[in-house]
Amino acid sequence: MMDRLRFVLLETWESLTRNATMQAAAITTACVALMLLGGAGMALYKLDAAAQALPSQFEAEVFLKTSATREQALELKAQLENMPEIVRVTLTPREVAWEQEKQKLEDRVNLADLPNPLPDKLTVRVRSPELLPAVSEQIAQSPLVDEVIDSRQELKTVLAISHLVRWIGLGAGGMLLLAALVLIYNTVRLTIFSRQREVRVMALVGATLRSIRLPFVLEGMVQGAVGGALAATLTLLVAAFLSDYLIHQWPFLNDLPPGLPPSTVIMGLPTLGAFMGGLCAWWATQRYVHI
Amino acid sequence: MWGLTEQELRRSTASPAAGNDCCDASPAPVGEGEAAANYKVAMVELKQVSVVYGDQHALRRVSLSVEKGEFVFLVGATGAGKSTLFKLLYGETRPAEGEVWVLGQPIHRLKPRELPFLRRRMGIVPQDYPLLPRKTVWENIAYGLRAIGYNESAVRQRVAQVLALVGLNEQARQMPNQLSGGEAQRAAIARAIANNPPLLIADEPTANLDPDTSWEIIELLMRINLRGATVIVSTHNRGIVDRACQRVVAMDRGQIISDVPRGGYPIELDRLHASVML
Repeated sequence: MMDRLRFVLLETWESLTRNATMQAAAITTACVALMLLGGAGMALYKLDAAAQALPSQFEAEVFLKTSATREQALELKAQLENMPEIVRVTLTPREVAWEQEKQKLEDRVNLADLPNPLPDKLTVRVRSPELLPAVSEQIAQSPLVDEVIDSRQELKTVLAISHLVRWIGLGAGGMLLLAALVLIYNTVRLTIFSRQREVRVMALVGATLRSIRLPFVLEGMVQGAVGGALAATLTLLVAAFLSDYLIHQWPFLNDLPPGLPPSTVIMGLPTLGAFMGGLCAWWATQRYVHI
Repeated sequence: MWGLTEQELRRSTASPAAGNDCCDASPAPVGEGEAAANYKVAMVELKQVSVVYGDQHALRRVSLSVEKGEFVFLVGATGAGKSTLFKLLYGETRPAEGEVWVLGQPIHRLKPRELPFLRRRMGIVPQDYPLLPRKTVWENIAYGLRAIGYNESAVRQRVAQVLALVGLNEQARQMPNQLSGGEAQRAAIARAIANNPPLLIADEPTANLDPDTSWEIIELLMRINLRGATVIVSTHNRGIVDRACQRVVAMDRGQIISDVPRGGYPIELDRLHASVML
């Protein structure tokens, strides 16, 4: 078993070190494909995070009727807190709100002698922005509620952009992934053609199909992993440069949530490359390596 | 193990001057003990085999039986079906009809995953791709053994043995492009017999070789035959067929047209040469 493993590993190593031009072509192909994929992935992650961060700021403000008592307000608050869609409910009593209002306007208007016109207010934060319209509708049906304000239209626009970004990400990522697979597959196919002699000799001496195919699959995995490591390095360098440049141009970008962690790129692209390389090589050997 | 006595060599080869007079009707020597006792065991058996490529018949209802210990020449012009017949024997081609039995196994029924295990019991010297160009002679021979799971010490031992047998000890570290045609062919034979197979198939091993070198190759194959291996060789070379005095199966347009046993009458061989050989 160990001797066979050693043979397979040696064959893989010899092939990797022998056909320098072919290896360079395969690694470059994997690198370019994964760099495009990694770059697109990082950009889309950032956009998606930004799109996700924006609607989470939206909360519904629930104004109760002035006839509602404090007990009723607290009862409604407790009911809302029990709803699974809702994360937090904050009660702003009408007297607190009125005090805040008076302080805010004390330089301009004297409100001291006026009766308090404000109702109690509940501020409701939902678990995810998509839930807000339905939750608002539900709260508005309570007889204690006078009005619910949730910036629904604005929320809809942001949610639409968020979905669009996700779909573009999936579409573009899928296309790039497919292109990368085809490119790597083609390179492995050429490698197989250039080693027909070895394949035939192995077949004639009685090597099993698995033993013949395995070095190609390992070779594809190594090519993919090396290409992925190069792609990760280049992607992070380009991302760092672009990020500095863009923040310098538009400082507000600094407030966006952080992008994909570098460790994910460093680990992810070589792993993805190895998987893709192995998959393509396996696919190519199924078609072109026979005994 | 692979050494050969003078007596064995005299029995197996004829002097160049002797022509067909060397042929006698005695059965081919197959080595000692068990091999001799099993002489009548069929190593290869084709029953009414046809092979069709597109709408062309490469083989048409061919029947052939080769018994253990035999040395058989397969002769015929280009396109006669020799290579197709060989490919049938090691499972590279499937018959459209008929049965192919090799070493007791029905190749026509074997699944692709079962073929390698049968091929390990055969030595195959293909006409094309005989040696790997980027490996030394030693590595070429070792390659086949490693590919089928021999451990390193067994590989070293077997490679040394077969190099001694084929007389390539001094060329062990040379690359294929540094070898003469005869040496390259001997290296290919060494790789084929490294696993000590009971059946050796050599497709045109003397192609492009001068007469003396061709005869050296045939002598080598006959030595291997004398150690107990059944040997089937295809060739165009009339001279070596005459000198070797072994069984000759002639093919033409996908059919066996003649099967002259070992020690067959020279007149039959003459007819054969006139009809099918170049």
